[in-house]
Amino acid sequence: MSFVPKTAPFSGKINAVTLGTGDKAIVIGGQNVLPFYTFDAAIENAPKVGVEISDVADTWDVPGLVDFYAGCTTMADRAKKAEELPGCDFIALNFVSADPNGANRSVEECVADAKAVADAIAKPIVVLGCKNVEKDADLFTKMSEALAGKNVLFMSAKNENYKTVGASVVLANGQKVGAETADDINLAKQLNIMLKGLNVNPEAVVMDIGTAAVGYGYEYAASTLDRIRLAALQQSDADLQMPIMALVCNDVWGVKESTASEEDEPAWGCREERAISMEVATAAADLTGGADAVVLRHPASVAAIQKFIAELI
Amino acid sequence: MALKGLDIFKLSPKKNCKECGSPTCMAFCMKVAQGAVELSKCPYFSEEALATLNASTAPLMKTISVGEHKLGGETVLFRHEKTLVNKNLFAVSVCTCMEAATVDAKLAEAKKVDYERIGERMYVEMIHVANNQADPAVYAELVKKAAATGRALVLECWDVECAKAALAVCGKDVILDGATPANWEAMSEVATAAGVALGVWAENISDLYDTVKNLEAKGNTNLVLDVTGATAKETLANAVNVRRTALKQEDRTFGYPSIVNLAKVAKGDDRLQTALAAMFVEKYASIVVMSNMSYAQALPLYGLRQNIFTDPQKPMKVEAKIYPLNGADENSPCALTVDFALTYFLVSGELERSGQPVNLIITDASGMSVLTAWAAGKLSSSTIKKTFDELDIANKIKNRTLIIPGKVAVMKGEIQEKLPEWNVVVGPLEAVQLPKYMKDKEYEAAVAAAEAERAAKAGAVKEEVKELSFDELLATRVPKIEIVDMGVSYKGHNPESKTFVTIGERIHCIAPAIKKAMAERDPAPILERAAAQIKAGATYLDVNIGPAEKDGPELMMWAVKLLQENFNNVPLALDTANMKAIEAGIKVYNRTNGKPIVNSADAGSRIGYIDLAAANDAICIALCSADGIAKDNAEREMHCDNMLERGLSLGMTSDDLWFDPLFLVVKGMQDKQMEVLEAIKMFSDKGLKSTGGLSNNSNGAPKHVRPIMDATLVAMCMMQGLTSAIVNPNDLRLMETIKSCDIFKNHVLYSDSYLDM
Repeated sequence: MSFVPKTAPFSGKINAVTLGTGDKAIVIGGQNVLPFYTFDAAIENAPKVGVEISDVADTWDVPGLVDFYAGCTTMADRAKKAEELPGCDFIALNFVSADPNGANRSVEECVADAKAVADAIAKPIVVLGCKNVEKDADLFTKMSEALAGKNVLFMSAKNENYKTVGASVVLANGQKVGAETADDINLAKQLNIMLKGLNVNPEAVVMDIGTAAVGYGYEYAASTLDRIRLAALQQSDADLQMPIMALVCNDVWGVKESTASEEDEPAWGCREERAISMEVATAAADLTGGADAVVLRHPASVAAIQKFIAELI
Repeated sequence: MALKGLDIFKLSPKKNCKECGSPTCMAFCMKVAQGAVELSKCPYFSEEALATLNASTAPLMKTISVGEHKLGGETVLFRHEKTLVNKNLFAVSVCTCMEAATVDAKLAEAKKVDYERIGERMYVEMIHVANNQADPAVYAELVKKAAATGRALVLECWDVECAKAALAVCGKDVILDGATPANWEAMSEVATAAGVALGVWAENISDLYDTVKNLEAKGNTNLVLDVTGATAKETLANAVNVRRTALKQEDRTFGYPSIVNLAKVAKGDDRLQTALAAMFVEKYASIVVMSNMSYAQALPLYGLRQNIFTDPQKPMKVEAKIYPLNGADENSPCALTVDFALTYFLVSGELERSGQPVNLIITDASGMSVLTAWAAGKLSSSTIKKTFDELDIANKIKNRTLIIPGKVAVMKGEIQEKLPEWNVVVGPLEAVQLPKYMKDKEYEAAVAAAEAERAAKAGAVKEEVKELSFDELLATRVPKIEIVDMGVSYKGHNPESKTFVTIGERIHCIAPAIKKAMAERDPAPILERAAAQIKAGATYLDVNIGPAEKDGPELMMWAVKLLQENFNNVPLALDTANMKAIEAGIKVYNRTNGKPIVNSADAGSRIGYIDLAAANDAICIALCSADGIAKDNAEREMHCDNMLERGLSLGMTSDDLWFDPLFLVVKGMQDKQMEVLEAIKMFSDKGLKSTGGLSNNSNGAPKHVRPIMDATLVAMCMMQGLTSAIVNPNDLRLMETIKSCDIFKNHVLYSDSYLDM
């Protein structure tokens, strides 16, 4: 053989973070190579796929989703159904309606829903907040207490509320916390340092670096992913070695490609297929850039992305 | 990529004959590496050494042309390192193994995908025609059909006779993807004879490497590498290894564009194909071959490609036009923002979330964000008026509510004046507040108020507006200057001095107190800031009056007189997007302590500022960028040379052009800082003066960190030859650093109390 490719594993390594408990627990991160670069070194843990269960799922009008969750009335019903979906590694509970500028559902109601889900399923749980920093701080504090012992990941602490969220979720209740910043490697590093300053173990932190749907300023997400991964692996920057979770479901279902009706865009064809395609392409791009886990909404997206991962690992 | 002196030295004759003028071969090679001397000055380099040296200065990855398309030519593995150059193309595959009807359907479907997205045509650029052991005539027939689409072709065909037959029936915008370790020699002859690029494939990457070597040895370097493996996993390994070998190991054997054929590895699963295509857009395919391309696949993939291949240093712009949202019609209110793509997506997304019909009007602002565009004069009542005229908005929309971004509330009056038919109201500061603002119709009260105001104005008698000369303005519109004792006097400045020139940046209309003082012609806040800066040792004071579209000339004359008469003719930099105002300011300017500075020209739309400076015998700051940040120092140097030439041809001396490399913010552009420093060295090596908004480097950093960053950077810059900077003189650490550097540079004679001088 005249040509032998140079392999390039790094000395830096992504933290391996365990979510959930028992034999259904999963580990994200742990690798010392760029995503899917199996030719450099074996990938310790394949990327994981979560299924979104939203508290406004009854407003989902895409036929495939309506059919899949037919007969489900509660978040727990839906979570049970999703848990059985082949390729579902974890369940992500999305508390959209807690937003004070929206339905403003009470923390108690949300906690009760989460508790019911936790009692009904065995797979790991990730909780997605409503993005309002005060409400999320309150929600995460009470929910992390109610779900104590379940090793749940709460997405996410932000610059404005990391003290409350970090202290309650991780220090008081031993759960895992997300650190969310918006497409800015310097802010991402800073937030991780601040969490460390609170005594939050870096191995309890997962990053949300601020992704987007492809076509929607995705170049910022792509370069932030590239830069964070290179800093973590190449420069061994311990403050950026947290695994990354991309909330694809939050990025793709609101853009025009996924929402425009077939009457409004006759050339574009089936709306559901377009939305799945947006979700699949965005998830694949996120995983290629450095996401260690993605959260998806549509069962068909889950199947496609699991197949994609299997093809590459 | 640049050669190091030692690499050249290894190949040098090492005879130290001094004929080149250098004392040793080593010294000569070092100079060659810096570009200070031509290699040809030495007659003793061997042919072989010269060939090696020439080859090592060639690009690491070739650019291959196929018709109008360009492939490859990449210089980096990740877009943030510089930029990706040539976007990947998409091809749809047809094969001799398919029924004619299937082929027709695929070609028809591929042609259907054809739309525009943010100024770019999105379509299937190529048709891939696979030959599955068919007769030459059968293959040629299929190729003919594919060629009839008018798209460029990839001919995947390992049979020499079939390839010849195919090439006879199609044009020249073709890649003959046919060379293998078995047939490369014959296939290369076919491709060369037809004048088309040759695709090379092998079962493993090592054979691929050897085959390319063989082809290159025969003189064929018009190549594309088909890196498709048996599986997706193997294909990714090939694509990455090929690109990495070329760019990182600098082995040009793999320095060619690549083809990835997903029709082979996606196994007919459309969704898997979409996922893999997304990956290969990011990971190094120059051509992604798909088994089909529907809108569902195209929309995300072309959107991704457009994002990934955006130049990180050029803002992405959306078209200036009316975007009706949530079923808006001519009776829906209008909201306005700039054409920066990210702003557009953010604002349109939030407006869509509100569910309220609204016409989003995008106005041309050179792809800058709202505040940046406003400060640069790219978003002004004039530019908005221009958009309204060009788009004929008054006739297209009947509703007269116009919501402007909260961040430019200050423009409300000017816009109202330029668009008297409209009710201009100030929207929220942040896009996230828009859904509530729109849902609760928070703009209605302001609209009513604007309506009432317009009605009142309509009743009033219209004032006759006549343009006044500077002298008339001075006599009638410039308030008398009061002399106030501020307890400091300007110590004077010798323009011949070599000491570092600080230009105090604190009189800037972006500061609310100054904005108000300027509007009301209230001297106190301005004098206060001037006194503090002068006391701190500023050489020049910058006077930024903002876009000042309305009353620029009289405002600038007032400011110039106010400052100079109060502070012993302190020299000033005149800073505004209104050129007339600069001219007016210079008219009343006193040159005792140095010429006025025009702040600033650039190599793009503000090139005319050089003419303005030349006509008024002023110094001109010349920003080395056109629109957006220069992509590298070659571009900075080009702008520098062009502006220098323009200034000199207009009779300026080179000392009166102060070149600005454009200081970049560390948070975000950390990897570009050394480039800026090298640009300063480049100016200095040309014997030119330089300046710039140095404190931009620490923008967004915590308050206690900024002085440290600014002081460190100014020291590094002064080492590189920076002669001036626009700074905050009240920053003691920075000013002390500058004074110390002037000591080390031997510009000021040392004494124990040099810091107090």
